[in-house]
Amino acid sequence: MARKHRDVLTVEWVKLELIRTAYASRGGLFARMDPRVVVLWYLVLAIVPWLTHNITVLALLFALGVVSVVLARVGPLVLGLFVIGLGFDIVYTAVASLFFGGGWETLAALGMLNLKLGAVSMFSMAAFVSLDPEKLSDALLAFRAPKLLAFGVSYGYRMLPILMEEFITVFDGHRLRSAPVERPGLFGWRVVVRVAKTAVRCFYPIFLNTAVNVRTTIEALETKGFTYGAPDARALRLGTLRVAGIDWAVCAATAVLLTGAVLAGQAWPMFR
Amino acid sequence: MTIPSAPEDVRTGTLRTVGSGAAPELSSAQKLMIFVLSMSLFGLSNVILEIIPDVSVGPVEVDVSYFVFVPLTMVALFSPFWAALGAPLGEIVFTDLLMGDFSGLAEVEGFIQMFLALYVAGSLIRNPRNRGQLTFAAIMVVTIDKVLSAAVDLTKVFIGVEDAELVEGLPQSVLLLEGIGFGVDVIISGIIFGALPAIWLVPALHGKIEPLLGMRPRVPGEPIPGSAPRQGWFVLVAAALTVASFFFAFLEAWDVEVGAVDSDFRDTYGDGFLWVSVAALVLLLAVALAIARRKGKQR
Repeated sequence: MARKHRDVLTVEWVKLELIRTAYASRGGLFARMDPRVVVLWYLVLAIVPWLTHNITVLALLFALGVVSVVLARVGPLVLGLFVIGLGFDIVYTAVASLFFGGGWETLAALGMLNLKLGAVSMFSMAAFVSLDPEKLSDALLAFRAPKLLAFGVSYGYRMLPILMEEFITVFDGHRLRSAPVERPGLFGWRVVVRVAKTAVRCFYPIFLNTAVNVRTTIEALETKGFTYGAPDARALRLGTLRVAGIDWAVCAATAVLLTGAVLAGQAWPMFR
Repeated sequence: MTIPSAPEDVRTGTLRTVGSGAAPELSSAQKLMIFVLSMSLFGLSNVILEIIPDVSVGPVEVDVSYFVFVPLTMVALFSPFWAALGAPLGEIVFTDLLMGDFSGLAEVEGFIQMFLALYVAGSLIRNPRNRGQLTFAAIMVVTIDKVLSAAVDLTKVFIGVEDAELVEGLPQSVLLLEGIGFGVDVIISGIIFGALPAIWLVPALHGKIEPLLGMRPRVPGEPIPGSAPRQGWFVLVAAALTVASFFFAFLEAWDVEVGAVDSDFRDTYGDGFLWVSVAALVLLLAVALAIARRKGKQR
């Protein structure tokens, strides 16, 4: 079903988009891979851009980032936030440095940094958007991350939609029960103050509800044998992970492309 | 909403406790509950903030960096150690990973700063119904967090990132922007969205939320429940972590600093040097995969 883009900027849309991101329900290349390989892939590509100052290589890595974002089918919300963030970052540093008498020199320096940061964030988007909570926590367990962390990731992603839903319900309840602001004031500041106050007040029931939820979940986990020291839980959870052909193919392709980028950088070096 | 009347807080000079005479011990399930609750709530508040657009006045961002009152309530009512450990993780899990602005190792810097800020602030609160203590703690959270990160940023500019002389106007601009940004943060995040809501929320929840997790509410004046394990070591580790947070932040800075030395380096070794690093990484990936594969087969 094609999504309509008319009603793009509503809270409901943002919520759905977040859920889609969290559950990696868009499919895509990396979603089909072994989570451990995806995490390793991300680690390598997150480090490589820091090792070079060659603008050619960085630009190629940036392009590789764009390709991986496309292959991972990153959603419009996350992508939009990223683009806006990057754009504002550049504009704001430009204004600041020009204002204080710095030249375009400063901009070139910061531009290179942004190219690097942009490439790294795109790889992270591609990797983490494709991992649903279960897979990510499996990968973390496989790398012997603290159990608390693995559990936190898994639980957090699972609970997020419920928490958001609850918050919006409480927020709407507050809004329905209170009279509208009498006069909006200059630039509608009274409305802003009202919304901020309501948002803060919503946390009172949310705190209590979440406390109950958390206790229920953890006690349920205890009865199912998830405790700190359960020895065979790890083996049980990691038993289904397999490194298949697609993983090797992606790794090989990445290695070839990285080599290509470095070769191109040697052939046409461009430094600031 | 009304603020429940504060019970009498008569200080007699000794620490008072209920029952056995010591702060209540937490079971591991309770620690996990505090951790997860803190993580979920702070993560949720960050997601909500993500939806609100940031307002920029010129180059200075006037925005709410975080809802300080949420983790502050947690550290004020529960064990500060576990609550402070959970909150920054919630930020990373819910917003940074999800929104794709996960910055890798630099996240560690943010985690350590936020953890230290919250733990210190939580330890300062001896009476969760005392408004003065709550206000002070809220401002402390923002101050510790922002001062640490501002110090890192400034040092990065002056020592690491660039030849300060070469780029005219950058040090001053960064200094000014950091200063203004810090003031704005203390007022907006620390007071408007920190102290003021906390003064209302903490007393309102005190005595109501703890039974839901199967715990006894804090009694004013008693030591912090379930404090950090091995306290002497903890101070050392905290100090080490502060240094470590700088180290992780400087990973970014080094990179550009290497750039200054790099021209020499590059002349001597040629671009072939870059090959070595890439080859090493590819090798690493291959070995890791092979090990993963073999382990997978063993099972």
